[in-house]
Amino acid sequence: MSYTRAFTDDGQVDVDELGGKGSGLVRMTRDGLRVPPGYVITTAACHVYLDRRALPDGLEDELRDRLAALETTTGKSFGTGPEPLLLSVRSGAPVSMPGMMDTVLNLGLSRDAAVALAERSSDTRFMADLVARFHTMYSEIVLGALDDRPAVDALVAQASPGDDPADVYDRIWAAAEAALDDELSESVPSTPWDQLVHAVEAVFRSWNTRRARTYRDHHGIAHDMGTAVVVQSMVFGNLDDTSGSGVAFTRDPVTGEPGLYGEYLAHSQGEDVVAGVRTPDRVQDALPPDLLAELERTGAELEARHGDVLDIEFTVEHGVLYFLQVRSAKRTPEAAVRIAADLLADGTASAARALGLVTADQLRQAQRPGFDPDALAAARDDGQVLLTGIGACPGQVSGELVLDPDRARDRADAGASVVLGRSVTSPADLHGMIAAAGIVTATGGSTSHAAVVARALGTACVVGAAALEIDDAARTVRIGDRTLSEGEEVSLDGGSGELFALALPTTTPAAANEAMDTLLAAAAESAGSEVLARVTLPVDVDTARAAGATGVVTAIDDVLAASGDLNRLVETLLEKGLNGVGAFSEVRDAIAEQLAPLLVAAREKGVRDVDVRAIDLLADESRELLQQTAVTTRHPELALPLGVPDLIRAQREGLVRAAGSADYTGRLRLAVRHVSDPSEARALAGLDDGADAPGVGTYLTSPRAVLAAEELAAYSDGVWLEVRALQAAMFGIPARQFLTAEPLDSYIARGLLAVDPRHELDPVVVRLLRDVPTGTGVRLSGTVADPVAATLHGLGFRRFAVDLPEVRPLMLGLGRAALAG
Amino acid sequence: MTVTTLAKPDYDVLNVLALKKMADATAIAAVTGMPAGDVEGRLASLSGGGLAVVAGGAALPTDEAEPALAATAAEVYAPVRADGDVLALVEKFETTNAQFLAAMSSWQQVEVGGRKVTNDHSDAAYDEKVITKIERLVGRLEPLIGALAGHDARFSLYSTRFATALEAIDTGDHDLVSAPTRDSVHNVWFEFHEDLLRTLGRERAE
Repeated sequence: MSYTRAFTDDGQVDVDELGGKGSGLVRMTRDGLRVPPGYVITTAACHVYLDRRALPDGLEDELRDRLAALETTTGKSFGTGPEPLLLSVRSGAPVSMPGMMDTVLNLGLSRDAAVALAERSSDTRFMADLVARFHTMYSEIVLGALDDRPAVDALVAQASPGDDPADVYDRIWAAAEAALDDELSESVPSTPWDQLVHAVEAVFRSWNTRRARTYRDHHGIAHDMGTAVVVQSMVFGNLDDTSGSGVAFTRDPVTGEPGLYGEYLAHSQGEDVVAGVRTPDRVQDALPPDLLAELERTGAELEARHGDVLDIEFTVEHGVLYFLQVRSAKRTPEAAVRIAADLLADGTASAARALGLVTADQLRQAQRPGFDPDALAAARDDGQVLLTGIGACPGQVSGELVLDPDRARDRADAGASVVLGRSVTSPADLHGMIAAAGIVTATGGSTSHAAVVARALGTACVVGAAALEIDDAARTVRIGDRTLSEGEEVSLDGGSGELFALALPTTTPAAANEAMDTLLAAAAESAGSEVLARVTLPVDVDTARAAGATGVVTAIDDVLAASGDLNRLVETLLEKGLNGVGAFSEVRDAIAEQLAPLLVAAREKGVRDVDVRAIDLLADESRELLQQTAVTTRHPELALPLGVPDLIRAQREGLVRAAGSADYTGRLRLAVRHVSDPSEARALAGLDDGADAPGVGTYLTSPRAVLAAEELAAYSDGVWLEVRALQAAMFGIPARQFLTAEPLDSYIARGLLAVDPRHELDPVVVRLLRDVPTGTGVRLSGTVADPVAATLHGLGFRRFAVDLPEVRPLMLGLGRAALAG
Repeated sequence: MTVTTLAKPDYDVLNVLALKKMADATAIAAVTGMPAGDVEGRLASLSGGGLAVVAGGAALPTDEAEPALAATAAEVYAPVRADGDVLALVEKFETTNAQFLAAMSSWQQVEVGGRKVTNDHSDAAYDEKVITKIERLVGRLEPLIGALAGHDARFSLYSTRFATALEAIDTGDHDLVSAPTRDSVHNVWFEFHEDLLRTLGRERAE
């Protein structure tokens, strides 16, 4: 035999020959799992078929022999009773790709076989369903039909378990054939042998569908690779009470809790569980003890071998357990963190494996702040719940209620958190939905346009809030006997579907923290890196510490903007001269006063590395806040890093006083932006601002500075390389355009930039970074993509500063990069 | 109150503007098939008529736009509204629309132990199944789009937009399944649905 391989045959498991699915089934069989027997038609047969548009000589004889062997193994017969053998036919290319023919199930249902099956299961209704499903599936997959078949569905619904099987078969087959003839003028062969051969040919033909070709062209996959075909005997869970079907996870995929978690439904086919026709039972309650023990034992063995939680699809036929599919389980973000930590702790997974089990996005979601649980409970008790609709996209947010998309965008642009309330949503509402932190609509289900848009945006959303009566003219909303005006604070829970009056306080969920700490400790150990968090408020320091940050960075302009001092200081700069005590003494005093609480927090939380960025009057991101044009017109010298050394002196003096009053004794430095010349660095180092003045470092923001990094480092007390500023300089795009989705999203979508400078490192930048001393700190802004972390780690950088929510994801990415490298 | 009715090309331009809320001449030209120069002229005259505001290259519809569109559609599309074939296909659309939105949802969320979880797109086989389903459902719109295009050729541009998005998806740009900020399959469908409702003079139910 040359074109087929039984799952049980010896020989090399070659994916190129057996395809992905075929190899998987052969491996499962060799691992000792009871897989329904079957065989693979190898890619070699496909090569011949594609070459001459006909099956290779001798293949049909081989298939007949294989079929005979299957009949012997299973004790069933193809196309006839008493126990008919039904087959599934699936495509299985060496690489999974779109456009390929999917599965045809229940192949082999001749009239005789159908009648026998109805008798064997004492259930004509089951047979009717199977025949209709087979005909529909074969029509769709092999012949390309699309239409629904209400007439056939109605006949199936009418069939009773006790009906005469032959009659029912004839009626359903005739109706299905009529529907297919109407639609395509085609027919499904009535003999099982023809069904099998045509299905196999259809798999081979599907190799060359438009979608498959496009995909291969795009991914550089050879067009002559070809596909294998998997032919497998089917097992049935609905033959009698000693049969059934189920799905089990080796751990709870919602919480991550260890222990087999699954559902079983006796006397049923897998589809019944999926379709929710009948409610399944817990495997622990419903499976006979010997089968449960077998499932638990096998699950544990498989989990240990794969080093991951698995999703096991199984069927019991006449008391025998069959494994249909075993794959890596889907899981919630919380479960992903817990599972990775547990598998690491119990030694099932190595550190490298465990870190690979959690994506940065899952970590971000698991640490996403939610409503404070006590405040949430109190709000429910106090009748703050305005309504409960359908949760369409999870997330807990507070904001001002706005009833119009234009106004929602205006308020969001002004910095407000907005909850957009609408009766119905239309495409013209998109801009408002994009701007909103939360969306609530009176109409729609969990699959409405609003829900789809909200989920695409990742915006918390409640739909079908029927109690919401919006009065557009009055800009009010009535909910029961309450009336809210636009602008009032509300809170929205996109998971539970609740809308609350007033804003609810938020906290980081405590539940995931312990597992997160375990995992991140492993990442940190491997990464060997310092990760500092960007903070502005004293409370941020606590959060940074909890996330595992080794230090903090802050910026004087951010702190003063948050404290409300910045406007006044800028006004002062505009009014006063720069000589003598004038404006700078006010800067110094404000820093002394406002930085002290931050340093107190650092001392209390044991943070001993605080890096402060000096006021940057050139920062493109804050040009309006700082009234850049006015200030630098009035004092042009302020536009250069060392244009006015007294400004640096004022900041250092302010920091000394802040540290003194906070009793902070850790490392404290002031770093100046835009320095690009060794002479500037030398001049900075030479400033005499008192013996106890904090060291002065630099932020590299230009290609010139990066090229001179080594020399600059020689004079600087700490050098930071600011990736966003550098990328902005390399692209010649103002840095503030990197802060928002638009205009860059659309621009990149038009294919005008090969690299998205907000999320990817430009290859030119990477080339520049190769010569930067690895002791340089790297300052990253916004979400840090895994490849960015890996590239920087690969270049040898070990000191980073990121936005507060990115501390954990970056640590994970660095750890993963370290273990991969 | 008198409501202006519009000349047909003006209707087409304002219709797109009302669907997109804010658009420049290039974007409108792309989905109406008109040359950008013509669109600019139409926008200027709509702006003169108080139906649109043009600022900084982008146009916005005014509050008067919707009534004018509704009144014009009632006249222009009276034959569509009386076409039994179209109406029968619209009946079918309701089902297809529900299936489409369900498919979109299964693109975005997967069920894990009875809970919906964001699809992290790590299961290529699952994703491809959903894309295949979406492609088939888009295919089911063809008869309706064809019937509408029989009355007004502009509807056939929806087919082109669907095909463009689907082709890009096949080359790996999965963002075009449902991204709200691009001409994704869902956005095209959403606009088509809205356009259909306006053409037929019906209200959106959700």
